[in-house]
Amino acid sequence: MPTTSAPAPATGGALLRRALRRNAPRLGGASALIAVWQVCEAMVPVMIGVVVDRAVATGSWSALALWGGVLCALFATLAFSYRGGAIVGEGALQREGHRLRTEVSGHLLDPRGARADQVPGDLLAVATGDADQAAAVLRQAWFAVAAVAGFAVTAVVLARIDLVLTLVVLVGVPVALLVNHLLAGPLTRRSAVRQEALGRATGIATDLVTGLRPLKGIGAEDVALARYRRESHRAAEASVAAARWEGLLYGATQGLSGVVLVVVALVAGSRALDGALSIGELIAVVGLAQFVAEPLQTLAYFVAQLAQSRASADRLVTVLATPRLLLAGEAEATGPADLALHDVHSGTLRGVDLRAAPGELVAVVAEDPADAAALVRLLRGELRPDRGEVRLGGTPLTDLTLAETRRLLLVADHQVDLFEGTLRSNVDPGGRLDDERLAAVLVASAADEVVAHCAGGLEEPVTVGGTTLSGGQRQRVGLARALAAPAPVLVLHDPTTAVDAATEHRIAAALVAERHPGDQGAAAATSAAPTTLLLTSSPVLLARAHRVVHLDAGRVRATGTHAQLVRDDSAYREAVLR
Amino acid sequence: MTTLLPRSTPREAARLTLTLLRRRRLDVALTAGLYVLVGLAGLVAPWQLGAVVDTVAEGGSRDDVVRSALWILGAGVVVMVGTALATGRLARAGEPALAELREQALDRALHLDGATVEQAGSGDLLSRVGDDVRLVAQSLTEVVPLLVGSALAIVLTAGGLFALDWRLGLAGLLTAPAYVRALRWYLPRSAPLYQREREANGVRAQAFLTGVHGSRTLRAHGLSAAHQEQVDAASWASARISLDVVGFFTRFGLRLNRAELVGLLLVLVAGFLLVRAGEASVGEVTAAGLYFHRLFNPIGAVLFLFDAAQSAGASLTRLAGLALLPARVPPHGTRAGTDTTLEVRDLTHEYAEGRPAVDGVSLRVPAGQRVAVVGASGAGKTTLGSVVAGRLAPTRGEVLVGGLPADRVVAPGRAGRPTVALVSQEVHVFTGSVRDNLTLAHPGAEEAEVVDALDAVGALGWVRALPEALDTAVGASAHPLTPAQAQQLALARVVLADPLVVVLDEATAEAGSAGARDLEAAALAVTRGRTSLTIAHRLTQAASADRVVVMAAGRVVEDGPHDDLVAAGGPYARLWAAWSGTEPAPPAQL
Repeated sequence: MPTTSAPAPATGGALLRRALRRNAPRLGGASALIAVWQVCEAMVPVMIGVVVDRAVATGSWSALALWGGVLCALFATLAFSYRGGAIVGEGALQREGHRLRTEVSGHLLDPRGARADQVPGDLLAVATGDADQAAAVLRQAWFAVAAVAGFAVTAVVLARIDLVLTLVVLVGVPVALLVNHLLAGPLTRRSAVRQEALGRATGIATDLVTGLRPLKGIGAEDVALARYRRESHRAAEASVAAARWEGLLYGATQGLSGVVLVVVALVAGSRALDGALSIGELIAVVGLAQFVAEPLQTLAYFVAQLAQSRASADRLVTVLATPRLLLAGEAEATGPADLALHDVHSGTLRGVDLRAAPGELVAVVAEDPADAAALVRLLRGELRPDRGEVRLGGTPLTDLTLAETRRLLLVADHQVDLFEGTLRSNVDPGGRLDDERLAAVLVASAADEVVAHCAGGLEEPVTVGGTTLSGGQRQRVGLARALAAPAPVLVLHDPTTAVDAATEHRIAAALVAERHPGDQGAAAATSAAPTTLLLTSSPVLLARAHRVVHLDAGRVRATGTHAQLVRDDSAYREAVLR
Repeated sequence: MTTLLPRSTPREAARLTLTLLRRRRLDVALTAGLYVLVGLAGLVAPWQLGAVVDTVAEGGSRDDVVRSALWILGAGVVVMVGTALATGRLARAGEPALAELREQALDRALHLDGATVEQAGSGDLLSRVGDDVRLVAQSLTEVVPLLVGSALAIVLTAGGLFALDWRLGLAGLLTAPAYVRALRWYLPRSAPLYQREREANGVRAQAFLTGVHGSRTLRAHGLSAAHQEQVDAASWASARISLDVVGFFTRFGLRLNRAELVGLLLVLVAGFLLVRAGEASVGEVTAAGLYFHRLFNPIGAVLFLFDAAQSAGASLTRLAGLALLPARVPPHGTRAGTDTTLEVRDLTHEYAEGRPAVDGVSLRVPAGQRVAVVGASGAGKTTLGSVVAGRLAPTRGEVLVGGLPADRVVAPGRAGRPTVALVSQEVHVFTGSVRDNLTLAHPGAEEAEVVDALDAVGALGWVRALPEALDTAVGASAHPLTPAQAQQLALARVVLADPLVVVLDEATAEAGSAGARDLEAAALAVTRGRTSLTIAHRLTQAASADRVVVMAAGRVVEDGPHDDLVAAGGPYARLWAAWSGTEPAPPAQL
């Protein structure tokens, strides 16, 4: 299904109206068919009355055959119109839900990203539950049309039989429903309390099981259980309180429809005694009096549902309105692929100068993790510096087109995301590498050990998030993927924190051999040589860098080689070796 | 993967339910009585409407009509009061029983032994204490009352038909095969279809979440559009299955409508014949017709609820399977230990037979000593830590604290004080406040103790800076903490728990470089003066330990103070040179 390119609706109401508009033909069909079904349902008790009146009371076989046949036709109509209406309507509804979902995921997965700050679970709820609930406005529409039709037909049929009874039914039933509605208010509140209490208890249980190992690590099972018991008890009490109101509401519903029935029986019975009603009409009136509550209840229910669809639509609109995350312009790079920061102020950074020329391996040691985070955000192109500039290939980073930035630069995060597939598809998602290149990046990241350790080799299946791999294995696969990318400028943030010392040493040597072979630093490099910026405090990696930049309190406090700095700079020594 | 957690048989689940309900016998009996009363009263209206028809047909008096109306009124009052009371009473019987069941299930879940949890994985356990509990609770409020009410209405209405005339009753009963056929068509098809729908929704959720979680990586590698296509395809696949469900459901609806029509015709034709033969009155046939019409909704409800009831039953067997596990017997502690010397004797652990991960390790950590364990990945460090902490049972050998088997030692002081505590890389922030997170380790801790623990691990500063300091809600979907902060809380918990022995398993690994330094300081605070094993990843941790144990291939290959080992020029010296990166050293061959 294509994603819509038209701008997203500005309000929840507009989103719902768009849903109705773009499904109008199917919605019309579904409404008509469901209305037919609703009217037929109303006619069932009427037909029972007719059969009793015309056939049972008269003993006529031909009348029995005739009216029995009509009853069959009535059932056939109601059955097939419902099925047809449901299929047409639900088809539209599912399509609309899918389109809304695609719109949300398309917005979030746009190449420029979205600044949606909700946690992933909440975004999922918007993309699934809210998309479906907003699409359910279609169902509300067709049932509302059918309910109005059902109510109208009932009124007409009643009016043809007896005007007094019509008034009794048409006034009595809505009044009964209104009383019901008033009672439903407190119930809704108590149900919400119950849902919340149950949700909290369940949340605690799943949270405790998720953290079961840390919990067992300190022997806190019984303390945790006592906490759960407390919430579980509260949930039980809230459930009992809600059930009491539920009982009242159910009782009242039954009682009120009973009252209407008593009045109808009394009035209709008297008028039948007077000869104003036939037996068939009497049965029909009683049946209709019982039935008329149904469309009204349907209507009331779907009006309440509309409020929920509206709330869902509002949440969808909020997500769809989040601005783009990455800043981009129209420019192309003008010079060789290098990275240069001039007097950059951003977040905790207070005037940072930094340059990584083609062929250079520059390491940054950040005393404060916030400095490293601010630097990475700038390099990802998520914001412009408050002062100074970040240039990539001679052009301000945020002025470059997205394609140009991606061609030149890859920022590999500390947090490694692996995707469902195989080791191969994770290391080389584009399928661009030949075997030789692939082997080279695996060696450079020590991911060759991961491959060797897995029974399936490169074809070893990887689950979502790479949960079957250890932290160190994941990190190495992520590093291999970063090295496999064609971008000449590579930024690596803490790439070896989860591997053991021996492996880290191997990675450091192989990484340099891969990216900076025959290594003489920037002086000897051509303008096409790769550039690497390493954010790390690992002495093993730092020792391999051409230049180390030590950031403290948002400023560059020292620059030099690792060996120089270790020898001459006690603050640096303290930072990386202690 | 096969699950190791048991499911109960339906019989066991039923027996457990009965046991739980037996404690609330009075409420159960009252509920049952009230439901029967309501069902009986519900029969009055059609019966009396039939009487009105007869009154009219036979030319009775207005008084007869009034009497019928009064009957209907009286029955309505009974239905009203009875329904209100029955619904509340059912909850009073069921909700506490359900609470007891879920608490018992969680009790067993939390006390499962470590090895079982490792093997079974947490997924199954999570869905039992989460989804299954939710499903059973929901069915108790939504399915059970409707099912009980509908089933009773069906039985009683059928009884009502028989009371009018046994031949009318028989005609009504003849419909049963049509309903049974519809159900037998429906049931075998519905469960797999719903299963497919759930799976498709799961795939859809997974595709979406993977995209959101990994959006940064997808963007960086230019993979966003490709992943969006995956999400799109998964969404459409699930929509298609939902449409299949609608088609299937409405076909079932057709079958029910057919059964309704057949039944109604049978009753009316039987009535026609009886009236012709002078064996029944028109009013009785009217009542029979109305009775049968009245059955449509409850029968539909029971049939459509069959699925919900079935899946609630499945959830119940999964919950009962957990709840019926034997309760953990608290270890009859040998005695209160004061000597905290840790001794590992000839310890071997094999995950698979003949392939030891830890191979005959013996180790003595004198009381209060800080020992670091180092070695390459796969050297057996984590396994050793897990066995010492009692998470894994050793294949051979034993772990002693103060000369006694560690699992038999009861720590002196407050109840619940752990003998051996373990902190691993697996960080988890529990839902609740920061204080809740800490007092898990020591529920009676004073404010000052909590503050001291935070101070000891260097977390007091940032905790005080949180919006509501100690009372800030953290954990899932609350205030986010960095992995390093989460791990600091875990270490503060150990300070509060005050175990005799502590095992830290690479507790500083995932924090990133700068955070790791804070965590190392915290780890030092936790192990100060305490018998401890620190499985070290950054060798600075080894350097600050009293003693270093080097492991390779499941065995101890070196053991001694940092300086001695560096001077000895063995495996540890090579590791250290590689780690400190200042000297050109060959990669350590371990």
